[in-house]
Amino acid sequence: MKGALLRLLLLVAVLAAIGQAQAWRVNTGTSVTLAAGALLLCGLFAGKVAKGLGLPRLTGYLLIGVVVGPYALGFIPGAGVKGLELVKGLAVSLIALVAGTELQLGLIRRVGAKVAALCVGVCGVTFLVGFGALFALKPFLPFLAAMTVPQALAVSALVSTVVVSFSPTVTIAIVQETSARGTFTEFLMALVIIGDLVVMVAFAIAAGLTRASFGGGLDVGGLLGGVGWELFGSVLLGCVLALVLLLYMRRVKRELPLFLVGLGVVSAEAGAHLHLSPLLVSLAAGALIANLDEREGQRIHHAIQRAGLPIFALFFAAAGAGLKLDALLTVGPAALLLVALRAVAIYGSCRRFSPKDDPRLGRYLWMGLISQAGVTFGLAALISRTFPDFGPQVEVLIVAMITAHELIGPVLTRRALQRSGEVRSDEAPGTA
Amino acid sequence: MQALLVFLAIAALSLLASSRTALDPGRFPALAQLAASGLLFLALGAVVGPGSAGLLEWSDLVAVRPVLALGLGVAGVIVGLNLEPRLLRLLPRAVYAAALAHAGTAFLWVALPLAGPLLFSMGLPPGAAVGAAALLGAAASLSSGHFAVLGYRTGRLERNRGLSVALLTVLDDVVGLGVLALALAFGVKGSVLGGLGLVGLALLLGVACGALLAFLMHGLNDHGELMAVLLGGVALVSGAAAYLRVSTLLAGVACGATLAIIGGRAVGQAARELGRFERPVYLLLVFLVGAHVQARDVMAWALLPGYVGLRFLGKVLGGALARRIAGATLALPPRLGYALIAQGGLALCLVVEYLVLVPGPLSQRVFDVVVAGAVFNELLASRAFRRVLAATPTRASGGAT
Repeated sequence: MKGALLRLLLLVAVLAAIGQAQAWRVNTGTSVTLAAGALLLCGLFAGKVAKGLGLPRLTGYLLIGVVVGPYALGFIPGAGVKGLELVKGLAVSLIALVAGTELQLGLIRRVGAKVAALCVGVCGVTFLVGFGALFALKPFLPFLAAMTVPQALAVSALVSTVVVSFSPTVTIAIVQETSARGTFTEFLMALVIIGDLVVMVAFAIAAGLTRASFGGGLDVGGLLGGVGWELFGSVLLGCVLALVLLLYMRRVKRELPLFLVGLGVVSAEAGAHLHLSPLLVSLAAGALIANLDEREGQRIHHAIQRAGLPIFALFFAAAGAGLKLDALLTVGPAALLLVALRAVAIYGSCRRFSPKDDPRLGRYLWMGLISQAGVTFGLAALISRTFPDFGPQVEVLIVAMITAHELIGPVLTRRALQRSGEVRSDEAPGTA
Repeated sequence: MQALLVFLAIAALSLLASSRTALDPGRFPALAQLAASGLLFLALGAVVGPGSAGLLEWSDLVAVRPVLALGLGVAGVIVGLNLEPRLLRLLPRAVYAAALAHAGTAFLWVALPLAGPLLFSMGLPPGAAVGAAALLGAAASLSSGHFAVLGYRTGRLERNRGLSVALLTVLDDVVGLGVLALALAFGVKGSVLGGLGLVGLALLLGVACGALLAFLMHGLNDHGELMAVLLGGVALVSGAAAYLRVSTLLAGVACGATLAIIGGRAVGQAARELGRFERPVYLLLVFLVGAHVQARDVMAWALLPGYVGLRFLGKVLGGALARRIAGATLALPPRLGYALIAQGGLALCLVVEYLVLVPGPLSQRVFDVVVAGAVFNELLASRAFRRVLAATPTRASGGAT
């Protein structure tokens, strides 16, 4: 660990020197490539240091991103971090593609009904707790205080759907890091993926209601159409991409990494522009490939898994660099209260609704559901764009929650997997 | 959306480049040849770019500039890693003289005659026109040895002859990079000292990043970690150079060369790992280079025949001179100049770097001429190389030089 720490300090010193050299130049060029390289290298060695301290590597990636990012030491310019959106989208697509290849029909048949039932329970209870807390905090939250009761109810419902959301990316990254395999791991992965689908539907409905409460009128057809388009459109696009990929792999058989990267970017960019979920697009593509041709699914899985280390390190270090620490200071108390209540709600509902045939689910599953990251960020940004009157303040609150969840979530997820007894190795080469 | 367009185009090209039906050398020899050299990606970039069909806009090209910087950095590090100091020290002086002769002749044959038209057509200060002509000469001086390598691999050329040609083309890279450094020193800033300072900063940055990368890679045994550190290191040096607006290519070369000198065992691994990314990065890079072409510049088209023709003559004469100098040391084939017509990717890197760092109509014209010239030279090179083969008696593969 000493070697890794020394290398990390040296890297930070080089970044500081580049920052000093920049001060001599009147005009600077693009900082995106610098941000990518610096965050990747810092993330890799911070991950090693974190591992030496008994923490998940992912926590190291996030923390070093925060430290060298624009909101702490400022060695990496904000524009550079912002410019990594394409990389982030690509990483989410590739991670979801890998996760999709694990969604075999057999697994869905085995645990699908149980997962769906538990998902409804956990999401329902967490939503109600969040909703009640937000409405009760109305006099203390500036963006709710001036609203009428119906408006406050609608906005509380909207924000609560975001409060419920989970993080499939963090879960998949920790599963890869620990090489966890087994029924508990399958259950956890399926739950976070299905949970986020439920959240997407609930969010679209709550957004429609909120718009109506502010005088925009309730367009039920448009509302259902929007939800349907996001879900079924994403699956449809995912299926098209899967067929294209399969065709390519069978006919062309060359330049597969380049093609996968291209397809990942298509998934991320098309998802964003067509109002589809990039996560769902890639999940559907991965799942269809795995179920149509298991051998090709394994090829994709291995190809992306081998490249997992740089993808995870860069993605999470960039996520850390983007965390607005000042948001934590301004809305900290309210955010921390929501974090605590969400954790209690998830814990209680898991204990209450988990299948009794596997006691590990009731005891440890809740720890795997605490993380929040990409999907939550996306929904918060959507609120900010859709409701410019109060959205930016909601975004600050949610980002403060994500900051807390990103720091404690990975630790808890790894602990859940360790206690379930399904961790095979913490030293899986080439993984997060 | 720009990224989507770029990657869709690359995905489509990647499919086309792999299609045996579309690229049957018997049916479409020119297309097959351009696909094999990657220049098909260059041509498509030029077609979809803002200077032609306009599917991509100039703002899109600015948005993908980080990818361009990364591509230049990778190219620079690969060139730097290939400049192995131990092997370079072992080479006889005649080899260097031969490389300088063929590169220098082509440089002078192109730079001197074209300085006039550039000076009078652009109405710019003489210093700028001379700098631009020098860069045209530098791009012309570079050759690619891929026909020679392909020739000996397929048994059509003796191995030692093929390797000798490839060696000369590696050494001419140094000439091109040297001229780029000078052109940037004269072009970037009003004062030459300031420009030299920036070139020095690029080299210093490259050396520092190379040393850092060697230290970071030391003791790493895991294949995945090694690859990730190497990728991060290349992105760091490219990104820092692009951020400080100094030459990414020169910084990359300095980084690769430093790594080659002090990297120890890690160098071989680094070269192998980077080699896996070489082809995709090269294809992406040439596509982006092509997208920067301003096809509507009539003056650039007018300069093109002069550039291609003068370069051809310069290479033929330079090749004859090089053969006379190093004929006793290296097993050089007769009609050596004909084997040096292919231009290669480094010339494209030189001019795109110049375009990014010294933006303006002059650098755009130089860029357009060299990029279009690269395609014509590639097509010309195939026919020219057949003359080399025709003049060379084929024997069983010999030993290395």
